[in-house]
Amino acid sequence: MIRPARAAALALAGALLLGGCAAGTAGRPPGGTDTAARCGAGTVAAPRGDPEPVASPETPRLPVTVRSADGRDVTVRDARRVLAVNLYGSLAEIVHGLGLGDRLVGRDVSTTFPAARHLPLVTGQGHDLSAEGVLKLNPSVVIADRSIGPPEALEQLRRSGVPVVLVDDRQTLDAIGPHIGAVAEALGVPGAGRALADRVRDRIGAAAKSAPRDRPTVAFLYVRGTVGVYLIGGDGAGSDAMIEAVGATDAGTAIGLSGFRPITSEGLINAAPDVLLVMTAGLKSVGGVSGLIKLPGIAQTPAGRNRRIIDVDDGTLLSFGPRTGETISALAAAVYRTCG
Amino acid sequence: MTRGAVLLGGLGVALAVLCLVAASVGQVNVPPDQVIGSILHRVGLDVGPRPTALRGDDALWVVRFPRVALAVVTGAALGCSGTVMQGVFGNPLAEPAVIGVSWGAAVGAATVIVFGLTVLGDWTIVAAAFGCGLGTTLLVYTVSRFAGRTEVVTLLLTGIAVNAVASALLGLLMFAAGNDALRAITAWNLGSLAGANWGAVATVTPLAAAGCAVAFGCARRLDLLSLGERTARHLGVDVERLRFTAIVVIALLTSSAVAFAGVIAFVGLVVPHLIRMVVGPGHRTLIPASALGGAVVLVAADLVARTAIAYQELPLGVLTALIGGPFFFWLLRRARSGSGGWA
Amino acid sequence: MIGLRVRRPITPRPVPPGSAAVEIRGLQVERGARTVLDGVDLTVRTGEVLALVGPNGAGKSTLLAAVGGDVAFTGGISVDGAPLATWGHTELAMRRAILLQRQTMSFPFTVAQVVRMGRAPWAGTPLEDDDDAAVAEAMRETDVSEFADRPHPRLSGGEQARVALARVLAQRTGTLLLDEPTAALDLHHQEMVFDVVRERASAGAAVVTVVHDLGLAAAHADRVAVLAEGRLVACGPPGDVLTAEMLSAVYRHDIEVLPHPRTGRPLILPRRAAPG
Repeated sequence: MIRPARAAALALAGALLLGGCAAGTAGRPPGGTDTAARCGAGTVAAPRGDPEPVASPETPRLPVTVRSADGRDVTVRDARRVLAVNLYGSLAEIVHGLGLGDRLVGRDVSTTFPAARHLPLVTGQGHDLSAEGVLKLNPSVVIADRSIGPPEALEQLRRSGVPVVLVDDRQTLDAIGPHIGAVAEALGVPGAGRALADRVRDRIGAAAKSAPRDRPTVAFLYVRGTVGVYLIGGDGAGSDAMIEAVGATDAGTAIGLSGFRPITSEGLINAAPDVLLVMTAGLKSVGGVSGLIKLPGIAQTPAGRNRRIIDVDDGTLLSFGPRTGETISALAAAVYRTCG
Repeated sequence: MTRGAVLLGGLGVALAVLCLVAASVGQVNVPPDQVIGSILHRVGLDVGPRPTALRGDDALWVVRFPRVALAVVTGAALGCSGTVMQGVFGNPLAEPAVIGVSWGAAVGAATVIVFGLTVLGDWTIVAAAFGCGLGTTLLVYTVSRFAGRTEVVTLLLTGIAVNAVASALLGLLMFAAGNDALRAITAWNLGSLAGANWGAVATVTPLAAAGCAVAFGCARRLDLLSLGERTARHLGVDVERLRFTAIVVIALLTSSAVAFAGVIAFVGLVVPHLIRMVVGPGHRTLIPASALGGAVVLVAADLVARTAIAYQELPLGVLTALIGGPFFFWLLRRARSGSGGWA
Repeated sequence: MIGLRVRRPITPRPVPPGSAAVEIRGLQVERGARTVLDGVDLTVRTGEVLALVGPNGAGKSTLLAAVGGDVAFTGGISVDGAPLATWGHTELAMRRAILLQRQTMSFPFTVAQVVRMGRAPWAGTPLEDDDDAAVAEAMRETDVSEFADRPHPRLSGGEQARVALARVLAQRTGTLLLDEPTAALDLHHQEMVFDVVRERASAGAAVVTVVHDLGLAAAHADRVAVLAEGRLVACGPPGDVLTAEMLSAVYRHDIEVLPHPRTGRPLILPRRAAPG
């Protein structure tokens, strides 16, 4: 409930800030890094097209028995109808990357690459699986991780006799290789798995190497709507790994937070990020860059003063999968972009 | 009495038909004749068609049947606990969720989830829900009673206070919760039968059945209680014992409903009311009819919740609240004009 | 809760007229620091109508509450020959029925259903067979049969009072304790209530009724007990007890008592100045 007078004052403040920005960086206190002066807002789009399959696809050799991440031994006898789902859509990308994309029978809401977009959704309520929706697709194997649930639905699938392989759900760069390996093993294509993992590791390495490494501070903010509550990504949130990968410092980790935590405007000012990373849809929900800057605390950070706001396509930043290398490259390009 | 018998019979038939429909509707297409066929084959009779859809049998026996069964048990528990609560409070506006008992039970269950307690195995959640539900019922009962009766305003205000504390505790638990626990707690707040499985059905059914049976055993005494406590005592009712029994029954029924399905509001309010309008307030008909009616309402509501939008599932508790909320308003106004004020 | 009875309730046996139905010895009731009843001795016998009179706050309702088992007391109260505490709830309900001053009803039961509730103590006994007859008789006696199917909350105050009396009568107990049964009633129904009560007494019941209208007490009671400030100050036939001297002292008001020209029963009136 903002009274009109106050709303007007806020709008005025916003306008002044815009003016200040247009006038260049003269108002900035000394001591900031050069990065802060780099050019304005940017966007990291989701990688286009389908994940590139490995050069030499393999025919699954089944049956295999693998150790699922929940500790059970699961035997996969048939990999002709695969359902690979998690919160981030990365498991389906891995299956596609292994050259088995034509065997996918359904998808989660985060799986949106062209070859999979036509597949039926199996998440009934938000990110929750609908057991019936899955059964209807008659998958011969389900690959998932703990980011998707509910556990009851997975249990119902197991009871229906569908092999359910859980993959470890750590969201870090180092975990991508093991994830690919686990999926490949469960589908009986370990060779393709090694090839894909190698390729992904090389691309991530190359992307990380290309970054200038002048260590700007980057904060990942999860904003949704203008209620003034936002979450900051900290240690282990996933965003930290991506930020570190482009040679920047994660603001949340630097102030000692882990996971996603609500942050106050004062906390954000103290964290003093040079760049703000937000989700594209989240940014839209607060009214774009100018709307974001009006949120309390944002304008008082170096990033807010310089409108250094980068929006990343939803789900891309936190999806650790075969295309993470591409995402890192795009992110590095956005963070270190200079005014042309 | 004949009117009551007709109603009970009608509700029984409606419930059976509705269960059959609910079991046959879903993403995997299994027509009713195949549902019956599948059941007959399962009990050893080689009659009727088996499900022709791929994984049809699994969809029925692993997903849908437990879900419908849990809807029946939960609905019956809610309808019955609402009736007993209204009877013992002597107040037609009492309902487990409205006066906060459901939320109290949810706090207990959420605590178990967040801290991963498994002291009593499958029963841990129910036990915790029961403990907290019982505590909350006692609290509301003692706080909202004055001079042997429960005023509407006091009852509702107590409910507000209890709900505030309970939702604060839930918020605190959510703050402390990890991802999985957070998901489970959110599911509770909204109420859902999506997690139904035979284990849940087997855990809850004996509790709900026991609760309903004891409630039915108290029916005549609950009738007398509507004359006021003193008069009920003069007519031979051990009021203290009845009150204690009723509170345990309410907590038992509410917690068995809440333990796996979350907070599903207003069923316990709307159903007894509609039944009372048809057959009057006599508890010997009202209690079984409310149990049946609650089951009918919940099976129907869950059917709508999971089929109204393709591939999506509406939160069940939100659905019942959307329908029950306005009904509550109407009831509130009626109660007010009926008693000539907020008595 | 269900059927956890230690013993089957003992049903009352008929007693000869004139035996003690309720015996009160040295009854004392405290409410907080206040002594509401102090050393009351009273015996109510079968076959009699005893009117309990006295000013507001004298302890009349408390006396009924004590006999009803609703308040803690010291002293002795016996019902049907045994101390109150030795009876179970149901056994007491088979022996005495109580009409409270105010009627409450949480749910819209019909009049017939409410009256039938009076039969609750007899459930499971051979006397259960009399339920229909007892209900019909009680409703006829109190003139409520014509609205048997109306929901209780739709009745007027007087009608509700008669329904409550019908419920008490349907209970068919040896002792009736009535707290102002005539307060909300018109003249016709007031007389009707006392006719019914008299009939029950003649049939062997002991009736205690609190009345404010001293005229009614004088006209219908066999004995009158006068309570003042928690003490029983007089008890006896109306003609002996209801004297101008006694009543003027108890009510702190100048009261004159005249014999009724036809029946000779006392007529009680506050002394008023002649008009003009």
